Amino acid sequence: MTSLPSFSAKDFKSDLKPIWCPGCGDFGVLQAVYRALAAVGRPAHEIAFVSGIGCSSRIPGYTTAYGFNSVHGRALPIAQGIKLANPDLLVLAAGGDGDGFSIGGGHVPHAIRRNPDITYIVMDNQIYGLTKGQLSPTSPKGLKTATSGYGSLENPVNPLLYVLAYGAPFVAQGTPADMSGLAQVIEEAIRYPGFSFVNVQSPCVTYGEEEGQVKAQKARMKTLQSLGHDPADQLRAIDLARSSGTELYTGVFYRNPEPAPTLDALVRERKEQLGKDALPRERILELFLQR
Amino acid sequence: MATLMGIDFAALSLKDALDLAVLIEEEAKERYEDFAQQMELHHTPEAARFFRFMAGNEERHRAELSARRLALFGGEPRRVTRGMLFEVEAPEFDEVRVFMSPREALRVAFRAEEKAWAFFVEAAPRVGDEGVKELFAELQNEEVHHQRLVLAELEKTPPESALEHADVADDPVAQ
Repeated sequence: MTSLPSFSAKDFKSDLKPIWCPGCGDFGVLQAVYRALAAVGRPAHEIAFVSGIGCSSRIPGYTTAYGFNSVHGRALPIAQGIKLANPDLLVLAAGGDGDGFSIGGGHVPHAIRRNPDITYIVMDNQIYGLTKGQLSPTSPKGLKTATSGYGSLENPVNPLLYVLAYGAPFVAQGTPADMSGLAQVIEEAIRYPGFSFVNVQSPCVTYGEEEGQVKAQKARMKTLQSLGHDPADQLRAIDLARSSGTELYTGVFYRNPEPAPTLDALVRERKEQLGKDALPRERILELFLQR
Repeated sequence: MATLMGIDFAALSLKDALDLAVLIEEEAKERYEDFAQQMELHHTPEAARFFRFMAGNEERHRAELSARRLALFGGEPRRVTRGMLFEVEAPEFDEVRVFMSPREALRVAFRAEEKAWAFFVEAAPRVGDEGVKELFAELQNEEVHHQRLVLAELEKTPPESALEHADVADDPVAQ
């Protein structure tokens, strides 16, 4: 019997040093990702990590996985393309709330309905940090920023409700205030066979509100497990997700107990079906030349 | 204990406890190195120097414990992993800030040493093995000693300026 190789978090840490502001929540997310990848046990060369643009989208470069810091809001289409091209890869997508729910917001429902086996991690800091603190889609109403001097008049997008409403089969939330819990939900999301979504409340230390910082999150976070929530209960998950913004729940909101076939599996199946009746390449060439 | 995942203290042998102690020091060393790198990158050289110094200390402790483990148990395989612990002696990742003063950096280290002490205090009553109990008591005392060293250093460090860095610095520059 041969033993499988085991990995430690260090195996996924690249030589590139993060340039995030000291104290940024994204450092915690990165640590949790390292741990989750070590627990999943796939070597770095079997992992593709795609991101959009923004502070958080730097994350693939800080791992030893294949990384693509792509185009603003387009992490999901690229991740889906990679998964279809090479279904054997473990594919992760990541980005900020602006990347995922503003410019990239249109891609989220389509990724959900196609159900590729990828994991999407949104590092939600409720602000555009990279461009110096403008309102983002998840900024709370009333927030004063560079672009809302008198306070935001807009209601925030609720990422959890958004993805649950479109039927995402795995929806979880974590915070770097509970790094071990965050590592666990990311690991669980990766292991889920289908589209999995993890919203991480990852505070911006430079432009974020004091009450949103990690220390404050520690005081207010509640695990869904402690509430006795059953992740198979989709309606209860929606109900709990509605309180996002007032409550900070962590853990798995929803996990479809009967996972549907993934897009990559369906594509593989279709290829096999069509392949049976397909003409050999030489015959196709002959037919082409006869015309 | 929030910092621990899946450690059965009652079943811990001296070898496991030494391995755990080595991993705790390793985690702390890496965190101080990360902090030093962040401070260097963000133009906060005094705090960076202090965090490098702390990383060196943690590495020395790690090497001492590692040598002890090797002398007692040779190359016997390890049963405990880094996945079982989180920030026992390592300062919490969000403790640092751009332009933090040397005194603030010292306070970060002090809180980390307090945290490590609390870990061993909480773990002690759960331990079954006598050798592990002795080791944990020793490590607990060491943490107290480290706290005293940091406090002594704080005494020598000049007080902070009444100005906050935000009073004198430009807005943070986008990356």
